[in-house]
Amino acid sequence: MIFSTELLIQTLLSGLMVGVLYALMALGITFIYSIVKTINWAMGEFYMIGSYIQFVAVHFLLGPSWWWLAAILAAAGTFLLGLLLEPILLKPMYARPLQRRDDYATVVTIALLLLLRNLAVALGGPNQYRPESNLPVVWIGPLPQEGARVAACLFAVLALGVFWLVIKKTWVGLALRAAAQNRVAVQTAGVDVYRLDAVAFAIGVALAGFAGALLAPVFMVFPTNGAVTTVKGFEIIVIGGLGSIPGALVGGLLLGLIESLGAAFISSPYQNVYGFLLVILILIIKPNGLFGERGREA
Amino acid sequence: MATPLPDAPRPDAPLLEALGLSKRYGGLIANNGVTLRLARGEIRGLIGPNGAGKTTLVNLITGIETADAGRIRLGDVELSGRPAHAIAAHGLIRTFQVARVFESLSVRDNLLLPFLAAGSPGGLGAGRARLAELLALSTLAALADDRAGTLSGGQRMLLQACAGFMVPGVSLHVLDEPFAGINPVVKDTLIQLIRRENESHACTFLIVSHEMDIVRRLCPIVSVMIEGAIAAEGRLDEVARRADVIAAYLGGNAP
Repeated sequence: MIFSTELLIQTLLSGLMVGVLYALMALGITFIYSIVKTINWAMGEFYMIGSYIQFVAVHFLLGPSWWWLAAILAAAGTFLLGLLLEPILLKPMYARPLQRRDDYATVVTIALLLLLRNLAVALGGPNQYRPESNLPVVWIGPLPQEGARVAACLFAVLALGVFWLVIKKTWVGLALRAAAQNRVAVQTAGVDVYRLDAVAFAIGVALAGFAGALLAPVFMVFPTNGAVTTVKGFEIIVIGGLGSIPGALVGGLLLGLIESLGAAFISSPYQNVYGFLLVILILIIKPNGLFGERGREA
Repeated sequence: MATPLPDAPRPDAPLLEALGLSKRYGGLIANNGVTLRLARGEIRGLIGPNGAGKTTLVNLITGIETADAGRIRLGDVELSGRPAHAIAAHGLIRTFQVARVFESLSVRDNLLLPFLAAGSPGGLGAGRARLAELLALSTLAALADDRAGTLSGGQRMLLQACAGFMVPGVSLHVLDEPFAGINPVVKDTLIQLIRRENESHACTFLIVSHEMDIVRRLCPIVSVMIEGAIAAEGRLDEVARRADVIAAYLGGNAP
């Protein structure tokens, strides 16, 4: 392994680019948790659905030039699916108060994970697909970057911006921020917290669906492609702290950088190990994560 | 039985009518057939020793908890069994004994939320005007952009009350122990706010409190709760002379 400035910059760039996508995924997990107070274990399956929507839209309907429209369709499709599923699957744990809410949510979302994954196998077979991409190689200085990756990164940044605007500038965003702090008080302020749950869930899974669509040409489309991203998402949650939005962003970038640096300068077959080393390190030094305030109650 | 005309004004009809509310927690009967009627524009005090079921009653009326039995009407609207947010949307707003403000939101956003949740009646301009007015009256104007988490306990109580006042057309405010543990200056500000909302917006209040001197000043009529039921109603000085009320507060057996 020869060290060079160019290799370092290339590595940092690719780490940041994939890190932004990781952050999108982690943001979805952490956002749903902050409102609905449960972890959606089927997050990766919404990533998977997003990637299938992207493939079907690009390959059969729109063509590779309209990849961006396909990605928006994927986000919209997963958003609607989330809006539909949340009241059926998760609302009962609040509407009929349960003793062990976390357990209920865990079982329900893992069941959903299995259902969606097997549905993908039944509909598309165990095959790998790849939506065509006609994006040219982008040169950043002397460094060539895969066009689809650059586009994915830029659109992920855009999605983060839209998310920020919705949360900070709209009244739904205000209600969501309030609900994250106190579910009872937000109801006495006249807000239907169950509808808010559905919206938060839909926004969260739409972030995953959008990430899946953007990464479809890079990481391929197949029934279990969400599994790896879910694991990364939870690594980031541990690093950044559950329920923390800055934690999701910083953790995502950090994980992308460390994986990329490790792969380039240590050994590339162990790419997935470096993230876990970071997770273990964080658990030793700061068990609640970089931005986490409290641990999960048992 | 003749059907009353739907929009026939009945000024003498109670604004709030709670009939036979009961709530049981395991073996403990917290509310045992509570009946409470409030007239429009009234400021009613609700007093009683600790554990008499005052907060339970407030929770039942505002939909935080569901009654085992009984009915609640606000004006012409049946509220029994409705979720808390729907009850709030119908104009029955409450505060909590331990002020529940949104700590990481600004004071301004805390006030805007209930207004926006009500669908911004009268437009955002009307909301801003009301916001400025309440900020001034509550003496929180200088803190409008601070996070509510930085406020003192008394200021939080003011903020919580004002958040309720932000919803136009609110007909009933239920304040659970608004004066507990806050300093005298803030108390006076809150009393003035309550009086002003009552006079200028014809708001009705149900105020749970242990502070007898404030209750005496604010509330022409008080209801006394003892052991999960309304034991007496009337002027504070009258009910305070009743033997059963004295016994409930001081212990011993009622004659």
